[in-house]
Amino acid sequence: MRTVELLHHFSTHATPLGLPRGGEVSWDDAEFHRAAWAADPEGYLLTALVPGARPQQRARALLQALAASWAGVADGSRVTLEKATRAILFDLPPATVLTVLLALRRLRANHKHTTRAVLTFVLDHPQAPTLIDARRPTLVDCFEHALGKATARGCARRIAEGDTDSEYLRRNLLRFGADPEQTRARVTALYGPGVPGVPVPRTGVAPLDPEREREPVITSTNRGDVAATLVHLYRGGPEAELRPALGRYLAEVTRGLPPMPGSIALVADTSESMRGYGDREWALLSQAVALRLVLAEVCPRLSVVEIGAGPEPTDLAGGLLDALATGPELVVLVTDGYENRLSGDLARVVATLPRLGIDTPIVLCRSMFTGRDDLTLRNPAPALPCLDFWHQDDFAGLLPRLFAHCADGRDWIHAAVRHRLDHRLEGVRP
Amino acid sequence: MTVTTTLTALVPTGPDLTGYRIGEPQRAGALTVLPIHGPQRPGIVPPRSGLKLHQVVGYGSVELHNGAAAGVAIVPLHIGYIQEGAQNHALCSAALLAAGQTRRFPDACCVQAAQGGYLEGRDQWFFVLPWELRAAALRLRGQEGYSKLWSDISALNREYGLAARGHLEQIISRRRAVLTQFRSRLELLPGQLGALFFVGDEFAGLEIAPDPAYFAEVWMPLVCFAYGVAAWRAEPRPGKPEPFEVTDLAGLRAELERERTDHREKLLAALPSATGAQTAEEERYLDLRLHTVTGGGLAGQFVAEHDRLVYASLFAAREPVAAG
Repeated sequence: MRTVELLHHFSTHATPLGLPRGGEVSWDDAEFHRAAWAADPEGYLLTALVPGARPQQRARALLQALAASWAGVADGSRVTLEKATRAILFDLPPATVLTVLLALRRLRANHKHTTRAVLTFVLDHPQAPTLIDARRPTLVDCFEHALGKATARGCARRIAEGDTDSEYLRRNLLRFGADPEQTRARVTALYGPGVPGVPVPRTGVAPLDPEREREPVITSTNRGDVAATLVHLYRGGPEAELRPALGRYLAEVTRGLPPMPGSIALVADTSESMRGYGDREWALLSQAVALRLVLAEVCPRLSVVEIGAGPEPTDLAGGLLDALATGPELVVLVTDGYENRLSGDLARVVATLPRLGIDTPIVLCRSMFTGRDDLTLRNPAPALPCLDFWHQDDFAGLLPRLFAHCADGRDWIHAAVRHRLDHRLEGVRP
Repeated sequence: MTVTTTLTALVPTGPDLTGYRIGEPQRAGALTVLPIHGPQRPGIVPPRSGLKLHQVVGYGSVELHNGAAAGVAIVPLHIGYIQEGAQNHALCSAALLAAGQTRRFPDACCVQAAQGGYLEGRDQWFFVLPWELRAAALRLRGQEGYSKLWSDISALNREYGLAARGHLEQIISRRRAVLTQFRSRLELLPGQLGALFFVGDEFAGLEIAPDPAYFAEVWMPLVCFAYGVAAWRAEPRPGKPEPFEVTDLAGLRAELERERTDHREKLLAALPSATGAQTAEEERYLDLRLHTVTGGGLAGQFVAEHDRLVYASLFAAREPVAAG
């Protein structure tokens, strides 16, 4: 299965997992997930961690990975799968994870990795005390499914009787938790009276997607540091102060990103409409240039075709033809979506390319002011895949979706996600 | 047919148009614009930065002030002001205002029926009357009566599927988010001081300013409101793109250029002629002469100095929409 399809599915298919009382797990795209897992278990799960994947899809990936056998998976990949499942356990809203764990119980999945994952959630999740209060019977069900009912209750009874470190407890329980004292306390709570009326926490403790700084009023300078610095430069701010800062901010954005070896042609719209006016002046252009700078850092073989900078209006169709002439693996059109020259030209050129035997992937990337821009009149070629961005945080999800169109994209995505997994916050690592 | 003669045919009794050049078209939906570059006449005070709405004296009577220290202001034809919660007005004629001069226009049109309150001096963004109302408004110049355009506005609203009231605000303000996108969909080019406007393939108007700075200040009111309104209503539904009949990339580029050239020629061929139009001088300031053009399917006004064109706002004369 192509990575680009996998990413598209993960970011668009939002139906929640269904778990009707007494019924089977309702999973409308189960076959899609099974096929993706069978083709490449490690790649499948890493792709689910790419920013922008919907929580409903991450829940499915968690269910698929924990329900399936890992027999035949290489040791190195097993380590990655363990890290990835743990990351999803701590990323998703706890109620969603509970649905997955109950589904695993319903499916009678009892692999070793399933047990470890369930017990990680119950024993190590920082929000477990609140969860135990809020959903105690459910957590007891999950706990007893993981350990076996007799063993689970045997452990609880021993703890209640004062056992702290017997061979039985160590072999059957304590080895699964990070902290023996915390493990004993949680099992005690699980089999305690509970606290009625406690709400379930609504968000996970370690989100995989960037935690976004969001101001109540969006301006041209609170959409990420790179774009903000560019806006000040365009306004005539001091170069000596702003240029070094721009370099620092850019390094922060690209830190840990592997180089993308593929040849990419960027068609950069730098026209009057990108500049904008009034309160939004420079907003779209600055974010588009921020993306261009990031691509230049990550892609050693990036070529740039600039359009709209001279005395002529933006010509997306002409820019695309110029870019294709360089023979790239991927063409990226970065624009506000206003075609300017003659509307319809880009769509006609795109419709003509297959007739010429040209199947170079072309992706339209629209720079926006906010995530709620009206884009009705800003889609010059509806046949093209379209990625929108307005904040610097969007790049974390946009780059994988762009590079997925290149031959090296799959490996790049996996390397980037592995790097992130290896640099997760303390307390979230296995 | 040279470019100059193309434009000359549009401007009757001939100011010299030598030096004006028509550029490549831009099209957004139903609206096509051909930019015009050409000779500049420096020193004319532009309307946004130099001209201020001084006060509304009473319904149908407004005062404008040329606040510049030097330079005559050309009040653009059919300029109008909209302000929240106040009575809104548009002028029926262009005008020449000397530096420091305040002038009352007792023949202004109120464009918002049945709402109390007057304009205040703050928040002065202006529009230019939609194309469909311009011929009627021009005909009403010199006539007092604040409600004289209400029936035309009402009919226009009804034609556009809006409530049949004399509220131009229903279009200008409530559809502002869509209309103002024409400013981004069609780009003002460096050095541009004029444009030909087409709605569909039909000639709509010719606008020429004294210099690029002046044109930049009227660009948004023209592209978004004067001609953008009709284009908004005629916005074509996106169709399936038709591939070019070519076999390689070079052929594709050549065919793209050929079609663009053909489109430009087709538009220029659709320009009307001013044959049959009459001109009449309205007012003068030193050597500047403001003329009104009527007849022969054209209407509008232009300003000439000696034999040179300085300003023009000429449009295809649509008959006033029937009053409801």
